[in-house]
Amino acid sequence: MDVVEIISHHILDHDWGVILGGFRLPITTHTVTLFAVSLVLLFGLHWISLGRQSRTGRLLTTLTEEYVAFIRDGMVLPNMGEEGRRFLPYFCTLFLFVLFCALAGLIPNMKTATANISVTAALALCSGGLILYCGLKFHGFVGFLKGFVPSGTPGWLVPLLFPLEVLSLVIKVCVLAIRLFANMLSGHMVLICLLLIIFIVGQMHIAAGAGAFLPAMALELFMTCLELLVAFLQAYVFTLLTSIFAGSVIHTH
Amino acid sequence: MALGPFSKQDHLQITTLGLEFAVSEILCVWAGFWADKKLGSFPWGVVAGAAVGFALGFYQILRAAKQMAQDNAKLKKAEQKDGRR
Repeated sequence: MDVVEIISHHILDHDWGVILGGFRLPITTHTVTLFAVSLVLLFGLHWISLGRQSRTGRLLTTLTEEYVAFIRDGMVLPNMGEEGRRFLPYFCTLFLFVLFCALAGLIPNMKTATANISVTAALALCSGGLILYCGLKFHGFVGFLKGFVPSGTPGWLVPLLFPLEVLSLVIKVCVLAIRLFANMLSGHMVLICLLLIIFIVGQMHIAAGAGAFLPAMALELFMTCLELLVAFLQAYVFTLLTSIFAGSVIHTH
Repeated sequence: MALGPFSKQDHLQITTLGLEFAVSEILCVWAGFWADKKLGSFPWGVVAGAAVGFALGFYQILRAAKQMAQDNAKLKKAEQKDGRR
């Protein structure tokens, strides 16, 4: 049994290699998941916004209102102040998208798109763009650049501190991508490794494999529950960190 | 839940600091390695990149600590003004 091959197959993206009119379309399991999540969110939220009077419609409307209030009062307003109110739609979308991408990975035969560094890098670039926009919008170009130098810095230190501060902001955006990617990837690797325990032990002796079945499945169940928690936690952390970084650019010292 | 002298945001930023340190080190070493390949100056670019990455990581930690201390002092001052503990 090739353990590395099995883990790679479970973790890595698979290109279906669709060629249409001479052009190769990059249709992969991760892009299919991304489109599926986008469509579910688009149509689901549109259906909720229609304000149906059925029991389900009212329940979902109330839940969505609570969700928006949670993002607004728990993340955007405390970290960005009133200036952040106009960016509320971005944060609401970001949280739901990251959450649903992670939850989609828990459905059999679907993949976690956020376990792909390209996806998380694109999300982090969007957040980086928002941070940049906030800085330019509220302080102007010169004011934004001035904000990179802490107040009270001696003049001779400015050429040293300015590049450090700019790099620091770039690294913060990189960290957003790497944190989400690493958490999602590692969770799935643990899940497949726990399953493989049964087969690896079973190769030694069939009875040992049967004995390892129950403990391994118990651990698998525990880790799946943990993955469920991590899905919510990482969506929360990604959104909250974006709001903190954007707030720190708006309210410079 | 008691969070000590730190706010929820502070806790989140503290957990990010380790990753920021690692990423700054890796990015700077990679930039140094790239420069070495272009200029043929191996290993000086990597060494310089490691030094800059280390300095950058420490700078971020020190700045975050200073920021948190300032925010904490401001909060205490505001609480004293309000008559709370």
